Amino acid sequence: MAVKAILYIMERDLRYFFRYKWWLAGMVSMNLADLFIMAVVYTRMVDPKIGNYFLFFSPGITITALFAAAFMIGREINREIRREISHYMLSLPIKRWELAFGRVLAGAVRGIIYMIPLLLTTLAVTALLAGNVPSALEILTIILALFLISIGTSGLSITIAVSTTSFEKYVTTRGVVYYVLFFCSTVFYPLKFIESVMPQAFALIAKYNPLSCGADLARSFLLRNQSIELFMPLDLMVFALIFASAALFAYMKIMQK
Amino acid sequence: MISLRNVWVVAERDLRTFLNYKHVLIMRALWFLAQIALFGLVVNKMLRPDVQEAVGGSYFSFYAAGIIISLLYSTSVFIGYDIYEEADHGVIEYLLSLPVSRKELVLGRSIGGGLRSFLYVSPMLMVVLYLIWSSNPQSFVSPLQLFIAFLALFLFTFGVSGFSITLAVSIKSSDKFDIFLGMINALIVRLSTTLYPLVYMPSYYAGIAQFNPLTFAADLFRWGAGLESAVLTAPAIAIFGIISFFSLFTFLGIFLHERVLEGGSWQ
Repeated sequence: MAVKAILYIMERDLRYFFRYKWWLAGMVSMNLADLFIMAVVYTRMVDPKIGNYFLFFSPGITITALFAAAFMIGREINREIRREISHYMLSLPIKRWELAFGRVLAGAVRGIIYMIPLLLTTLAVTALLAGNVPSALEILTIILALFLISIGTSGLSITIAVSTTSFEKYVTTRGVVYYVLFFCSTVFYPLKFIESVMPQAFALIAKYNPLSCGADLARSFLLRNQSIELFMPLDLMVFALIFASAALFAYMKIMQK
Repeated sequence: MISLRNVWVVAERDLRTFLNYKHVLIMRALWFLAQIALFGLVVNKMLRPDVQEAVGGSYFSFYAAGIIISLLYSTSVFIGYDIYEEADHGVIEYLLSLPVSRKELVLGRSIGGGLRSFLYVSPMLMVVLYLIWSSNPQSFVSPLQLFIAFLALFLFTFGVSGFSITLAVSIKSSDKFDIFLGMINALIVRLSTTLYPLVYMPSYYAGIAQFNPLTFAADLFRWGAGLESAVLTAPAIAIFGIISFFSLFTFLGIFLHERVLEGGSWQ
């Protein structure tokens, strides 16, 4: 029964996801602008000793895409609370934890579905420019790692969404979370530069930031420029577990208000 | 006939409303800090020495001056979200019932939106000027240059507010507005000189970026702050660009506001 109920909730959220054609178009344009405008220009400015910046950044695009798509569920939940649609959700013959769990998972699945075309873009870029084609098992490992990030991000967005009824506060907090998590990670630049500029504490945060782990894990398979360390998958699991639990707790609590 | 007093009353209301968003204001300041202290410093380390030379000696200063313009832009477009919040709570109808003409209303909102973002960004603007001047104490700064740059930025914020109002009243759907603005933000910031100079952009991007109002504002601010660099847009062209942008969107805002605001259909 629980699985069926969760699947119903996930199906509902997935149907909603594909209704937002404009949203998807907007997000695709943002992600592609990062890769095909920003990364292209920085490639012309970055010291060649560092390597090809476009190639370095391209696996990062999967993380930015995943993050944006998985964060969308929070936006919807925030709107449901403001418009009191949550009362309708409570009237459904579904337990509250099933509802909460279904929504966290739906957010994560949406992130993965949206990210796949961008992962394919990255695969094409790395195959063309670096000549690396990962095996099927390696691609599956990348998708699994990204799914864990997606669960954590979905949980994080739901936790923020239920903490405020103001849309502006949600949008602005989303922006800050985005900048802090991304800029203090290896999505945009290698760790050695963060270590050379930032205090030790920031460098540590950047190293163990789940977005860094996801990006570096993807790079290790796509660019073969670094080895995978044991803490990376562990870090991703902990991130997913903490924020999925926080979202379950916060969502169930707000629904009972 | 437009009454300046009415315009000011509307602008003053928007200034007061802005102060209610303490959370948003604090978050935006953090947003700015993250961009400067994280992205700016790290990327500065990664660039070629000749790039540092070309942008006036320090990419960090170049970047900080650009980021403040993108912050000015993002706080000025905020007026559009205000309009949706008002539509959501039925305040639009209240505003329409006031003894203020539609022209005065939109002009006041455009000025209020621009002024509040300028006032909000001012302390951070000072921080950026301090960073620029402290990194290069030899840079000569003419007070007149700085004054002209500030005046142009003022017009820029009014123009952006007019642009946001134009979009908000044309789209009338908060979701679509947020998405559309996100799309525009992604392109308008990346296809401008806020992050990098025109000379390093491929020609197909530079062709668009040279007409971008953010390019005009960013390069004019750098010029005003004394960042000597051959890669900046000529100040006269930048001033002309900003005045054109301001005039176009203030006019469009007034035109559309008068015709579209009434009649509901807000989503």
